Amino acid sequence: MADSNGNGNGKRPRTAVQAGGVEAALRGSALYEVLKGIDFERRQLVGKSPGVGLLDLTEKPGGGYNCYACTLCERVCPVDAIELEYCPEFPEQPFDAEAARAAALAAGPGESCGAASACVMGEKPAFVQVPVDMRLLDPVIAGIRSGSGLIEAMHATQEAYGYLPRVALEAIADEMHLDFSRVYGVASFYSQFRLKPVGKYVIDVCMGTACHVAGAPLVLEAFSQELEIPVGDTTADGLFTLQTVNCVGACALAPVVRLGSDETFGRMGPSEARRLVRRLRKQEQEATR
Amino acid sequence: MTPVNPIIEARQTAIAAGKGAYLADDSRREIRICAGTACHASGRVALKKAVDAALAERGLAKKVAVIETGCHGFCEQGPIMVLRPQGIFYPRVQPKDVAEIVDTSVVGDGIVERLLYKDPATGRPVAAEREIPFYALQTRIVLGLNGKIDPFSLDDYLAHGGYTALTKVLAERDPSGVIDQVERSGLRGRGGAGFPTGRKWRTSRANPGDVHYIICNADEGDPGAFMDRSVLEGNPHSVIEGMIIAAYAIGADNGPVAGYVYVRHEYPFAVERLRAALDQARERGLLGTNILGSGFDFDIRINQGAGAFVCGESTALTASIEGLRGMPRGKHIRTAAHGLWGQPTNLNNVESYANVPWIINHGAEAFTAVGTDTSKGTKIFSLTGKVVNGGLIEVPMGTTLRKVIFDIGGGMLPGRSFKAVQLGGPSGGCLPSSLLDEPIDFESLLAAGSMMGSGGMVVVDDSTCMVDFAKFFLKFTAEESCGKCVPCRVGSTRMLEILERISAGEATVDDIDLLAELADDVAEGSLCALGGSAPNPVLSTLRYFKDEVMAHVLEHRCPAGVCRPLIRYTIDEKACTGCRACVSACPSAAITGERKQPHILDQALCIKCDACRQACRYDAVRVESGALAPAGRRRK
Ligand SMILES: Cc1cc2nc3c(=O)[nH]c(=O)nc-3n(C[C@H](O)[C@H](O)[C@H](O)COP(=O)(O)O)c2cc1C
Repeated sequence: MADSNGNGNGKRPRTAVQAGGVEAALRGSALYEVLKGIDFERRQLVGKSPGVGLLDLTEKPGGGYNCYACTLCERVCPVDAIELEYCPEFPEQPFDAEAARAAALAAGPGESCGAASACVMGEKPAFVQVPVDMRLLDPVIAGIRSGSGLIEAMHATQEAYGYLPRVALEAIADEMHLDFSRVYGVASFYSQFRLKPVGKYVIDVCMGTACHVAGAPLVLEAFSQELEIPVGDTTADGLFTLQTVNCVGACALAPVVRLGSDETFGRMGPSEARRLVRRLRKQEQEATR
Repeated sequence: MTPVNPIIEARQTAIAAGKGAYLADDSRREIRICAGTACHASGRVALKKAVDAALAERGLAKKVAVIETGCHGFCEQGPIMVLRPQGIFYPRVQPKDVAEIVDTSVVGDGIVERLLYKDPATGRPVAAEREIPFYALQTRIVLGLNGKIDPFSLDDYLAHGGYTALTKVLAERDPSGVIDQVERSGLRGRGGAGFPTGRKWRTSRANPGDVHYIICNADEGDPGAFMDRSVLEGNPHSVIEGMIIAAYAIGADNGPVAGYVYVRHEYPFAVERLRAALDQARERGLLGTNILGSGFDFDIRINQGAGAFVCGESTALTASIEGLRGMPRGKHIRTAAHGLWGQPTNLNNVESYANVPWIINHGAEAFTAVGTDTSKGTKIFSLTGKVVNGGLIEVPMGTTLRKVIFDIGGGMLPGRSFKAVQLGGPSGGCLPSSLLDEPIDFESLLAAGSMMGSGGMVVVDDSTCMVDFAKFFLKFTAEESCGKCVPCRVGSTRMLEILERISAGEATVDDIDLLAELADDVAEGSLCALGGSAPNPVLSTLRYFKDEVMAHVLEHRCPAGVCRPLIRYTIDEKACTGCRACVSACPSAAITGERKQPHILDQALCIKCDACRQACRYDAVRVESGALAPAGRRRK
């Protein structure tokens, strides 16, 4: 797939993976005539756009795609929203998954998409899944049996693990006789639920109105630069997670930053943010020495 | 009379006689420490420890009660401590000052003058809580007991007349009479739209179903609003009492009723206190089966949200309780008929319920005496932003914005001028100074292009850019859009893109027209009020602050000095003392210079993070935009 840019006009090609196949499905219909002025190629898809638009493949810095055609996305998508088909626009390049896979394996040994459970690359994934202690889930299951709802169960699970491990969600889905896709859909809808483990220190920068006018964006940016991670990520050493929260309601102290669940800092600025990170880092270094 | 729980009756008379109302001359010494979220963040835990230690040292631990109350409202001054019976108010109390306060005002009868609140208008210290202008100018119906009672103590609530409204309602045995009374009071929903509460109850009652659900909306998702949280934290029983009365009115003779409180997960204290209050109420027979011997059954469950603003919307909220993604549905089917689990459902806001016991106790007429023709009673606002006295404020409907912002709120910070006040959060709008004398009620605000919303009131001064401010709200709605309908999901994002172009100085005049057109389409076409009101911040900005918007478009200039692509930082050589404070604050090594020599800022390295300006004590770091004179920004 590395050189599937077959139309040669420098435009990004249509990708092989197409959610909903909007344009193809519409072609030939009356609606297509109405809609054809719309920019189907628009790169920036609005978030939460169900079934409308294209899934796009990311490119390697040196050209070509990161995609190994492992077809994992099709098989792990919890709601069966992805169907792989070769792109009708490039008939000269029929989509040959086997060949693409072989080419990918030959080209980049050691590289993996990191999805441990369903990897078809035949190699050890670089990212080893954190073992999940299923005993921590027992109280959650017991809670479900005594009538707690799905969201309540998820809160309890997150309290136990710090995030929502996939296996735990699967167990909850089983227990409640729900499709996994349904459970996963709820977990991904609510911003408080985390699907990845968090760092030891979770930094929540308040993005409420009062904090915004007092300079919260500058504080957030300072954290992001000092930690060298984008918002929502965890540092590689597993120490810090940087998040935003809509409003903690301590507006008189804006801008507010919360560390973990019980420490709150008010009247923060970019310098204070950097200092806080450095202090915690130092504290950690001293503790490990 | 119906049999009413004798324990309650006895307790009530006994305690009421002993303690009485606020500031009653009772001789018991008491220290009240505010345990609201803001005071917590300013150190109330350390304060409590210091107080306990100081009392223990003096052998007073048993004699002087220390009560951790809910939010006092004057959050700017936290942590707050109030001493009884004198009613002395100590703001921003540091643990090191506690010993002196205890010796002077608890053991003795004196006042530590240097620690008192100083009226900024006169510069004079004020000792009594009720004489501080911030409190003196308010009318507290809902917040009446906030900061006075222990939120963990049902007895405290009872002693202050709690649950008398419920006993009255149960004794009268006239559910629809209760609705009549609420309807006559003119109470309108405090959650945003201002729908008449009595009418809502009547509709819900009239709709048949297996169960009638009574839900309290404590989702309070507006960023910058914390009224509901403070009520739940400070006086949870008032909300529970209001809910029980609503349940009785809607369902006592109408089949089973069940209650839910849907509360934000971001409010851990509120959840904890509400949970404790529900347990106590159950223990005393105020909830559960056969409430106070009346034969009426009702219980309340807590349901926590998980960080989705749209879940404040009624149909999304019920979907969330059902364990689904919080996506609203069309309102052609009303929640009152088909709500939670398809049953008739009554949804009210926290503050709406908290008003009910007062109305029952004092009568509908007393309530109608407060407020304006169409908006009765009081409204709580959380006043935040660039005002001197931020905090919780309860005023009669019809009070002017000026009174709230300047008289109670103490006006703008020194050296700053008023620019706008934003009401109604992401669904509301910004009002300019020419509208400061507008009365605050549902209709006037709507006519002005804003709305009451749930009561967030954010004041901004000349250091805030209105384009940036509108962008903030739109970004919020675009992120919080549930994705179900296209006008809201795509429309808000496209509007945001235009605003981003404006703040980058890349927009054209045509973009402004497109923005206004899109705003209309989004408002018209969206499924729920989230999208329906999302354009309001933009429209009000275009209506009242067009000049500022056009400065970005035509002159590529941000008058407030906020929009990053349009500003640059410079150092004023004359003002710079060469103290190197900015040099060490700069994370990108853009500032250089010897000690005692004016420093130099390299524009190529500057990342415009504002750290230098905040570090400078001599006002030598300036923000420039266009050809205009230096503008200050974001003073801390
Ligand atoms: C997007 C959106 C968010 C809302 N958020 C809240 C909220 O946080 N709290 C609230 O009480 N009402 C909220 N509402 C209003 C509710 O839908 C509903 O009108 C209100 O809770 C009814 O109670 P009331 O009649 O007592 O005002 C929201 C509405 C929308 C459209």
